[in-house]
Amino acid sequence: MNGKIILVGLNHRTAGVDVRERFALTDVENFEAGLMAHCPLSECMALSTCNRVEIVAVVKRAGERQAIDAVIGYWAGVCQGSPELLVENTYQYTDLEAVEHLFTVASSLDSMVMGEPQILGQLKDAYRKAVEKGTARTIINRLLHKSFSVAKRVRTETAIASSAVSISYAAVELAKKIFGALDGTRAMLVGAGEMAELAATHLLQNGVRDIVIANRTLSRAKELASTMGGTPIQIEQLSDHLHEVDIVISSTGSPVAVIRARDVKEILKKRKNKPMFFIDIAVPRDIDPDVNSLDNVYLYDIDDLKEVVEENMAQRQGEAVKARAVVEAETETFGNWLRSLALQPTIVDLVDRGEEIAQRELAKTLKKIGPVDEATRRSLETLVLSVGRKALHEPICFLKRRTQEEGSADQFIDLARRMFNLDDELVPPDAHMNRKSSSCAPEDVDRLIDASKNKEQ
Amino acid sequence: MGLFELLSILIIGLYALGTLLFLTGVCSGNDRLKKLAVWLAVAGFALNTVDLVLALTGDASALSSGTFYFNILAWCVLAVYFFLWWRLRLEFLAITALPLALLLYVSSLALGGITVVMPPELTVLFFGLHIGTLILTLGVMIMAFGAAVAFIYYNRKLKTKAGLSSMGQGIPSLDKFDAVNRLAVTIGFPLFTLGLFSTYFWYLIDAKRPFAWDIMKIGSFAVWFLFAFLFHQRVVLGWRGRKPAILAIWVFAGMCVSLIHHTITFRAVP
Repeated sequence: MNGKIILVGLNHRTAGVDVRERFALTDVENFEAGLMAHCPLSECMALSTCNRVEIVAVVKRAGERQAIDAVIGYWAGVCQGSPELLVENTYQYTDLEAVEHLFTVASSLDSMVMGEPQILGQLKDAYRKAVEKGTARTIINRLLHKSFSVAKRVRTETAIASSAVSISYAAVELAKKIFGALDGTRAMLVGAGEMAELAATHLLQNGVRDIVIANRTLSRAKELASTMGGTPIQIEQLSDHLHEVDIVISSTGSPVAVIRARDVKEILKKRKNKPMFFIDIAVPRDIDPDVNSLDNVYLYDIDDLKEVVEENMAQRQGEAVKARAVVEAETETFGNWLRSLALQPTIVDLVDRGEEIAQRELAKTLKKIGPVDEATRRSLETLVLSVGRKALHEPICFLKRRTQEEGSADQFIDLARRMFNLDDELVPPDAHMNRKSSSCAPEDVDRLIDASKNKEQ
Repeated sequence: MGLFELLSILIIGLYALGTLLFLTGVCSGNDRLKKLAVWLAVAGFALNTVDLVLALTGDASALSSGTFYFNILAWCVLAVYFFLWWRLRLEFLAITALPLALLLYVSSLALGGITVVMPPELTVLFFGLHIGTLILTLGVMIMAFGAAVAFIYYNRKLKTKAGLSSMGQGIPSLDKFDAVNRLAVTIGFPLFTLGLFSTYFWYLIDAKRPFAWDIMKIGSFAVWFLFAFLFHQRVVLGWRGRKPAILAIWVFAGMCVSLIHHTITFRAVP
C-alpha cells in the first residue's frame, strides 16, 4: 500500500554489543541511497549510533511485509550478515506504531540513560543528511519535525532530564544548589583519581573560574594542570590554599582523613563563613564526616552521591509516565495528519469534478441563450462554480470529521470516491446482482429527481 | 459600585489569583503558571498604586488615618519583592510576597479606623521618617522571613541529603536566599532605627505628649536590640547562612507582635 510508514531497528535491549557492532551502519548516506534503489520505498532515513540503528521509511507500491523484508535483506547484505540473525535481533513497526517508536526514541525514553540529550542531536544529524541526499520527503520531513517538537515538549513539560544521573553531574548539580551559578567560584582537586578529574572537568565546564590541583606527586599535579588549566601544588600545602576555594573534590588513596573538621572550622573563620562544598569520592574517606555538622559546610561522600543519582533515576522513571502520555497524544495527532493526507487528493478530485460539471452546464446554457457580453459570461461562470463548491462544503466537512476517527478514514474516503465516481470506474453489468437493475444515464437520473420531487409535493 | 470598591475587588482578585496560580505552579513544577502569577501580581500592584494615589489625592488626612497603613504595607511588600526579582532574579519569593500582600490588603479593608495624631504642618515629614520607614522595614523583613524559612528548609535537605529530588531546578540556591537576608539586614536595620528613633522627635516638639515608657515602647526596643544584634553579627562578624536566617525569623516575629500591638492600641485611641 502506498504511503505507509515502516520502521526497522535494533537497540541495546534487543541486540547484544556483538550484533550491534556487526549491523552498525558506517556509511549511512550511501545506505539510504541504496535502500531507495533496491527496496519499494518512496522515502527513507537511517540513524546509526553505538546503541541503536533505526531505519524509517515510507512504502511505495508494495505491501508493508514485502517492504520490511526488502529493507532487512538489503541491510543484512550491506553489513555482510545473515538476514535471519538480523530478524532475530530487530523490532519492526508499521504505521502509527512506527511513529510512536520514533517519538519515543527522540524523547530519549528508549535510551540506555533515560532523558539523555545526545539522541536528539544524533537524530537531527541523521535527518539533515537524509534531506541533503533527498531521501527524506513529505512524510519523513513531517515525521521528523514532529518528533523534534515532541522531544522538546517532553523536555519542557516533564522533569525527565532535569536531574543528574551520573556521579560527576550530581556533584555539579549539588554545587549549583549551594552557590547558584558557579561563575567565579574556585575549586580544588585533592588527589588525581579519574572520577575526581571528571567531576572537576564538569565543574570547569559549568563556570568554575579556577582550579587548584593538590597531589602527593607534584609532577602528576602539573600534568593534570596542563590539561585542565589549574594551579598545581604539593598535597602538604593543602591547608594554605583551602580557604581560597569553594569546592573541594577529594580522591586520594590515603588511609586516614586528609581534611579534618577542626581544620575546616579554622578555614571557615578565614573565609568569613563563606560556604564550602566538599565532595569525597575516596574509599576510605579523605574528609572527616564531622565536617558536615559545621554551618555553611556541605559534605557528600561517594555513597551520598550514589543515593542522589538513584533518587534522580527513580524520579526520571516517574516522569517517563508523563512523557509517554505526551508521546501517545502526539502520535494520535500525527495519525490525524496521515489520514488527512489521504483525504486531500479526494477533496481535490471532488472539487475538480464539481467544476467540470459546472463548466459543462454553463456551456450548454450559453449555447441556449445565445451570445452574451464578457462581463455576463464571467458572472455566470462565477455563479455556477460557486454553486458547485458550496454544494460540496457539507460532504467535505463530513469526510474530514469521519477520517479523524480511528480506522474509518479508508472506508469513508473509498465510499466518497465511489459515490462521486472520482476514479471513473466502469460499473460491470453484473455488479449489483440481486438489486433491481436501473439505468444511470443523465436523462434517467433527471427523470428520477423530477419524479421524487413531484411525489414529495 | 464606586471606583474604590471596584478597584479593591480587582486588586483582591488579582492578588488572590496570583497567589493561587503561584502555589499551584510551585506544587506542579509548572513554570508558566508561576510566570503568569507574577504578572498578575504586577497588574495588581499597578492597580494598588492607583488605589493609593487616589486615596491620597482624595483625602488629605489619609496619611494619618483610615485604611491606609495596611494598604501601603501590602504595596510595599510587593515593591520589595519586585526589587528582589529584578536584582537577584528571585521569582521564588512570590511564595511569601503574594499571600502576604493579599492578606495585608484585605486587612486594610477590615482594619479601618486606625488614627495616628501628627502635627499638621509636619505630617509628610513625620510620615516619611516614622511610618514610611517602618513600613518599608516590614516589607523588607517579610522577604527576609520568606528567604530565611526557605534557607533553613533547603539547607536541612542538603545537610541530611534527604528528599533532594524535590529541590528542583526552579528552586533558587542557598546563596540567593542568604543574599536576601544580607540585603534585608543591611537596608532594614538603618531604616528601622530611623523609624523608631524619629518618634522621639515628635515627643520633643509636642509639649503635650511627654515621653513615658510603656509596654509598646519596651517591645519596640526589644525588637530593635534583637535586630541590632543580627546587624552586628551579620555585618561585623560575617555571619552567614543558618544563624542569621533564624535570627531574621525572630526579628520578623517580634515586628509582627509589635505591629499587632500598635494596631490594637491605635484603634483604641479616640
